[in-house]
Formats: sequence, structure tokens, C-alpha cells
Amino acid sequence: MAVRNGKNGLLEKWRIDEKPVKIDKWDGAAVKNSLDDAAKKVLLEKYGYAENFNLVDGRLLICTISCLFAIVALIWDFLHPFPESKPVLAICVISYFIMMGFLTLYTSYQEKNIFLVSVQKDPAGMDLNHTWQLSSSLKRFDDQYTLRVSLTDGKSKHTREQEITKSVGAFFDGNGTLVMDQFEKCVSKLHNTLATEKKTK
Amino acid sequence: MLSLDFLDDVRRMNKRQLYYQVLNFGMIVSSALMIWKGLMVVTGSESPIVVVLSGSMEPAFHRGDLLFLTNRVEDPIRVGEIVVFRIEGREIPIVHRVLKIHEKENGEIKFLTKGDNNSVDDRGPYKPGQHWLEKKDVVGRARGFVPYIGIVTILMNDYPKFKYAVLFLLGLFVLVHRE
Repeated sequence: MAVRNGKNGLLEKWRIDEKPVKIDKWDGAAVKNSLDDAAKKVLLEKYGYAENFNLVDGRLLICTISCLFAIVALIWDFLHPFPESKPVLAICVISYFIMMGFLTLYTSYQEKNIFLVSVQKDPAGMDLNHTWQLSSSLKRFDDQYTLRVSLTDGKSKHTREQEITKSVGAFFDGNGTLVMDQFEKCVSKLHNTLATEKKTK
Repeated sequence: MLSLDFLDDVRRMNKRQLYYQVLNFGMIVSSALMIWKGLMVVTGSESPIVVVLSGSMEPAFHRGDLLFLTNRVEDPIRVGEIVVFRIEGREIPIVHRVLKIHEKENGEIKFLTKGDNNSVDDRGPYKPGQHWLEKKDVVGRARGFVPYIGIVTILMNDYPKFKYAVLFLLGLFVLVHRE
């Protein structure tokens, strides 16, 4: 019993979900990532939507297959030294670079800038799950962060989008700490606009 | 726990994100590996890029020069040409010039090499009892070179701790840093 609690305690000390997010305010990638994560948090925790991992899983699968090709090449070449392994190596190398091409196409056209796909389950239990998608963009060295919320109606398959562009300075203080309250307000407003639009239509 | 702030990003990651960090690292390593194996296939040589380790071929090649090799079956080995070869039992490739060749009718050859800057031929370094090299010992022929860049490789091999430190730090950076 004591052992199990000890392990959980260590895991709790490792995870820092409740610590306020502090990043290097000049690091564009870190800024975008923390804003994206915060937006995710709002949708998943405040509104209780369930995250759909299919998009991310697709990318993970492509990457895993590519690495497998590399591992196969490595092991085959080790077991059957060079000149005999030529055909297998050639196949693995070409496949690897084809997978890389797939990956680029996948991230550019399938994933685009979407970082969250979540499902709003209908409380009545009928098959009318609405899909909420979040995507964002932040240009290099720019401070204008664009958050796009899109709602796909479960019944009509109709998609509506709403976006907002704001300076990142509105959400971070001078030290680089994310002011969650401000950001949450912004995301909620966006979300509620779309939700009410749906009701009035 | 120590205040390892740089790990904060990692601590906030869920399982999928952690797996992606590891995959990212794997893909960088795999890309380098695939480029190397790809070069092996294209050039036909088992070591398509080598570093000149000694000054035995001065003034043609100096210590630290990077050589690009090909090992096409059709390339005939003729006296006076530079070949890169490996002595049986040793893993370090040597870059020297061909001095003498004995050729059979079916194309099999035995050849002797000598470094331009050496005073004697290579029979000394050959395996005890071995007097000639054969085609199977050839790693390739130099097709192009870049001067001086190989010094980094020589340094890394002379100071392995430095090499491991650099690799470890690079690896850590890739694993911890989010795209």
C-alpha cells in the first residue's frame, strides 16, 4: 500500500498540470504551443468535450512506419554485410523517403493547423455528436495569434467557423506567464458565439 | 525535486505527445541513417565518405580531408590511380596509389599500393603473409573531396568523451524541445 502511494506521489510531483504556464516570451513556438494547450484545456475541461485522437494517431503511425523501415535497414545490413544487402537497403531507403513525402502531405493537407478535434456528446444520448475543431496560426516573429473554432453539426454535417486574431501580448504578462483568465474568456466567447448561432439557425 | 524548469514542457505532455517527442528523435536519427545507406547503395561503396587520417598522400591529400568515394564494378584499377582500401582484419580504410598490378585473363587482379609521401610500399602494413591486395579489399575510388572538414571527425575520435557529450546534449535537446 505504502509502495503504491509512493509511486502515485512521484507521478503527481512529475505532472504539473496546475502550475501556471511560464514560457520564454520571445520564443514564438513556445508561445503558440502554450496558447494552443490552454485553448485545448478550456474546451476539454470547461465544456467537457472528449478529445478525438484520430488525426494525431495518423501522424504517429506514419512516423512509426518510417522508423520501422530504418530499423529494418539497419538490422538487415548488420546481418548481411554490404554488397548482399543492396536490394533490401535500396527498398528501405526509397520507402523511407516516400513515407517522408506522405508525412509532409499529411501534415500540410490533412492536419493543416488543427491541434484539437473534440466531440460534444449529445446529453440525450441520441446519435447527434457535434465535432468541435480548433486550429491556430502564429506567423514567425509576429505577435498576432489567430484562433479558429469550427463546429460541425452532427446531423446536418454543416460546418461553421469563427475566428479571432489578437496580439499575444493580451494573454501573457511581462514575465512570460500565461494569464489563463483572459485567454479563457476569449476562447469561451468564441465558443459561445458559435454555439448560439447553431441554436438560432 | 530539483527546479529543472527546462523540463516543464515535458511534464505537461500527455502520452501521445511524449511518444511523438521520442519519434521525432527517432526520425532525425533515421533520416541520417537512410541518407548514409542511400549513399552506400548509389555509390556501391560500403563507406562512401571517408576522412584522410595520415599525411601519407601529401601533397595530393592532407590529414583531415573528406573524400567522396564510388565503387563501381566497371571502374578498372590501373597503375597510378588512387584507391581506398581496407586491409583484412583492420577497419580503418587507407588511401594510397596503385604501384603494380598482376592481371589474369578473367579480369582478377592483384595489386600493390604505396602512399605518395611514404618511402616504402605497403607490404609492411599488409597482413602477415599477404603480398598483394585484391578487388574485394577495395572500398572505392575518390571522386571528389572537401579539404579540412574531416578534422572534426578526427577530433571526435581522439576525444571520445567530447563526442559522447555532444551527442548526449543534442539528443536531450531534441527530446525535450517541442516543435
